[in-house]
Amino acid sequence: MANVQAGVPPTEKALEAERAGARPRSDLSRQRLRSAWLFLAPMLLVLALVAGWPLLKTIWFSLTNASLSNLEGADFVGLRNYWEYVDYGDGEGEYFGLLFDPQWWNAVWNTVYYSVISVAIETVLGLVFALVLNAEFKGRAFVRAAVLIPWAIPTIVSAKMWAWMMNDQFGILNDMLMAIGIISSPIAWTADPDTAMWAVIIVDVWKTTPFMALLILAGLQMVPGDVYEAAKIDGIHPVKVFFKVTLPLIRPAILVAVIFRALDALRVFDLIYVLTPNNTQTKSMSVFAQENLFQFDKFAYGSAASTLLFLVIAFITLFYIKVARLDLGGRGS
Amino acid sequence: MARKVTTGRKIGTTIFAWFVGLVIFFPILWTFLTSFKTELQAISIPPVFVGFDWTLENYRTIQTQSNYFHFMANSIYLSLGSTALGLIFAIPAAWAMAFSPTRRTKDVLLWMLSTKMLPAVGVLIPIYLLFVRFGLLDSRLGLIVVLFLINLPILVWMLYTYFKEIPGEILEAARMDGASLSKEITQVLAPMAVPGIASTVLLNVILSWNEAFWTLNLTTSNAAPLTAFIASFSSPQGNFYAKLSAASMLAIAPILIVGWFSQKQLVRGLTFGAVK
Repeated sequence: MANVQAGVPPTEKALEAERAGARPRSDLSRQRLRSAWLFLAPMLLVLALVAGWPLLKTIWFSLTNASLSNLEGADFVGLRNYWEYVDYGDGEGEYFGLLFDPQWWNAVWNTVYYSVISVAIETVLGLVFALVLNAEFKGRAFVRAAVLIPWAIPTIVSAKMWAWMMNDQFGILNDMLMAIGIISSPIAWTADPDTAMWAVIIVDVWKTTPFMALLILAGLQMVPGDVYEAAKIDGIHPVKVFFKVTLPLIRPAILVAVIFRALDALRVFDLIYVLTPNNTQTKSMSVFAQENLFQFDKFAYGSAASTLLFLVIAFITLFYIKVARLDLGGRGS
Repeated sequence: MARKVTTGRKIGTTIFAWFVGLVIFFPILWTFLTSFKTELQAISIPPVFVGFDWTLENYRTIQTQSNYFHFMANSIYLSLGSTALGLIFAIPAAWAMAFSPTRRTKDVLLWMLSTKMLPAVGVLIPIYLLFVRFGLLDSRLGLIVVLFLINLPILVWMLYTYFKEIPGEILEAARMDGASLSKEITQVLAPMAVPGIASTVLLNVILSWNEAFWTLNLTTSNAAPLTAFIASFSSPQGNFYAKLSAASMLAIAPILIVGWFSQKQLVRGLTFGAVK
């Protein structure tokens, strides 16, 4: 972090003024800039501590043979937790380590699958909800509040509520689906390997679509009304207006909503942990790391998984920001 | 003819919106209903909707078994404490980034996002070791600090977005008139920033209220909030669904009430970063 604090780069405004040939109002603007950095410093320091120190510690653990009972006295073992070739002699040998662990790759696949599917569904449904909530109708305030509630409930509560509703014997979900005739016999939603992942996705969609809808709704409300008036006068079909006018205008809102959502989805832990415990089909990277860290007494291995998880997410985020050309810039950019 | 089509569409929208609203609301309604049933009625097949003997037994049992108000007081302490602490650090930082942006502002924002890439399980042990060393385990102070740190990036990010919307010309004018830095903040910026801060506070309180991972791992009883209270009702052997439902309702009731009365601010709060 030192490089951010070190050296005080001039503000855009001061630069502009310089370019325009005006002399920067030296004393006052310098004083303001100094106080700006002074204001920023405590937050940067605190964040460096909270983000930096534990991360470094975890990376360190991943390079040792630490176990829960022996954290301080652990020895450095290099990259052995990630990658190790054991030579059996006679040209025979085998690779070990996280990068060769099928269970890890299964967890990576599960997480990516879950994230892509759930975020995609949530974005599309969120867009539909937002369009509906943006229209005038009776009881809009009430519906809007009802839609908001799932987001405001702790995941641990909603996971338990749904586990109860999806119970194969007493659950209301099976009962209702059988009443309508969609299924003929009860399904063990959270236990059956075929449906477990979908159970997780359903609950996540229920919980998070409102969040997406509200973010997109905020974007929709920023679209000036005369845009629609103009399109109406020109006789342009509403569907075309949506794709050619509305969608491009709310694109920034959608992109930001997606990145925040995706960051949470890729780290998913509590929903899966409560809803489908010990299920290989839904084991996410975070759950994999947690198991190794605390249950299997493979602390260093779990630390390696955490480190890789961080790298995977960082890579995906940077890639996304690059591709989506997300605008994080300051004022006026 | 055209009018008829519009009316038809309007009715269609209304029905669709209400249908969606009800579907979304249903799980909560179902939990609410279950919480008033006896354990036997809760697992009756087929499930009953309203035609059961309503009872307050579950709520009574919960209050006598585990002290609900103790957990609730902790939840209030933790969420308000961490939010207050967060504001002290986030307001100056967001203010600086919004009104004195540099070429590094973008980097700082991005870097803050990176704290959201860390899996909580991955950093639990380093934090846990710190807690042990400083004797903070199961203390409100320790949890307030952790919750504050977790939500700091979101706080800064949100406030930054709000502050950015405040027109810079007003500041210029104040500076021209010779306002000092402190006057500029207290008399020009503060009044304009209050709505944004209110929304931020509300969102942050809810996020802290709902945080389960850290509160479960760093508390036992003394500082345990409502999320821990819910977790304690998940006995693996017994199917106490009615009691679990009642406990769930008790845990989310404060949020539902606060959320209902401050919908507008909440919706505003949720839009951080999305609106320019």
